Amino acid sequence: MAYAQKDTDHDRLMRLLMQIARDDRDAFRQLYELVAARMFGMCLKLAGQRDLAEEALQDAFVQIWHRASEYHRDRGAPLNWMMTIARYRTLDLMRARKARPTMGDEGLEDLDDGRSGPLESSLRDAGASRLTGCLDELSDVQRDSILLSYYRGFTHEELSQALSSPIGTVKSWIRRGLIALKRCLER
Amino acid sequence: MKKTPERIEALAAEYVLGSLKGPARRRFEQWMMESGRVRQEVWFWEERLSELSRELPEEAPPRSVWQGIERQLWPQQAQAKPTRSGFARWFWPGWSLVATAAVLVLAVVLVQQPRQPDTGQLSGAVVQANLEDPLWLVSESASDRLLKLRSVAATAAATGKDYELWVVPESGQPLSLGVIPAGGVHTVRLSDEARQALSKSRTLAISLEPRGGSPTGAPTGPILHVTKLYSL
Repeated sequence: MAYAQKDTDHDRLMRLLMQIARDDRDAFRQLYELVAARMFGMCLKLAGQRDLAEEALQDAFVQIWHRASEYHRDRGAPLNWMMTIARYRTLDLMRARKARPTMGDEGLEDLDDGRSGPLESSLRDAGASRLTGCLDELSDVQRDSILLSYYRGFTHEELSQALSSPIGTVKSWIRRGLIALKRCLER
Repeated sequence: MKKTPERIEALAAEYVLGSLKGPARRRFEQWMMESGRVRQEVWFWEERLSELSRELPEEAPPRSVWQGIERQLWPQQAQAKPTRSGFARWFWPGWSLVATAAVLVLAVVLVQQPRQPDTGQLSGAVVQANLEDPLWLVSESASDRLLKLRSVAATAAATGKDYELWVVPESGQPLSLGVIPAGGVHTVRLSDEARQALSKSRTLAISLEPRGGSPTGAPTGPILHVTKLYSL
């Protein structure tokens, strides 16, 4: 898969981050060109709103410039580290503005692909193949709650609405799902 | 709250997922600062859950994002610094600026548009003092009342901002012609009122506004450019 190839960029990204830590603007520009589209795709999906996604991406890169020297191998792959920065920033902005165009019942129907609930089936299938198949070991509702939180930034309230279940139930699906996921990943 | 391994495990996962919010999230960030064990747990989830984001389609961000990053990190070097004038007062650039515009426009328009010898056709350019190229070229076709802006050296407005185009009448409030993009060719159809005001004053202005344009109907941001058009 193309993604596997992308991961071989690992060393290149690592080198660029080291250069950026020494204030190398040229390296920063190269880094942006390499990963901005990937990061923006994620921000856009999460925010569901271009303005916000653009702002989050901009802020994330400003942070990457300042924090490049903090990166180390324990943080995981360089791309994952950067994606995480962008993801947190997007979530922050979403929460700060309570900006969710898909809030409410009508909005949530847009996400519905009919049979299988408010998560696009393409994402569900693809997501499940990741995490070494461990998502498959979860119940459907556990997996969907986790994927909706991850991909769409759904809050407990929104999940409860989307999955037509009480908040307490949704919370425990997530909690138990994550613990089960961890047990599986550790095996 | 006690930092039991089970609790750290559960909270770290929810922190990374984003479902841990508000005060609980801040409390957990405090834990992260205090404990390497907590950080390790968070990094585990950040790394593993990031795999999920590989499934999302890529999307090229607009050029304005990179420009915004540069502006934020190196403001002293950012090109095209807007001229900040007061909100309320219109300021007029020196005549030399306008003269430069006229020269540029004549050169370009004569080469590119030999057709349309329409009567009363207005042309002009939006220029910036320290730039060689005009930001936008403006041309009007009197027959169908279209005002055309061709972007030459204009750069995108800051994130969350838009450029808005105005007709400045000889007297009275400016009339909005809507927001204009920084790139490509943009066409505006003039209302009777706007056409009339423009044919008398021949003056356009561009202001920097919140995204989507001025919320009040009058310019609220700095006036970046004022341009006088000429009859060809």
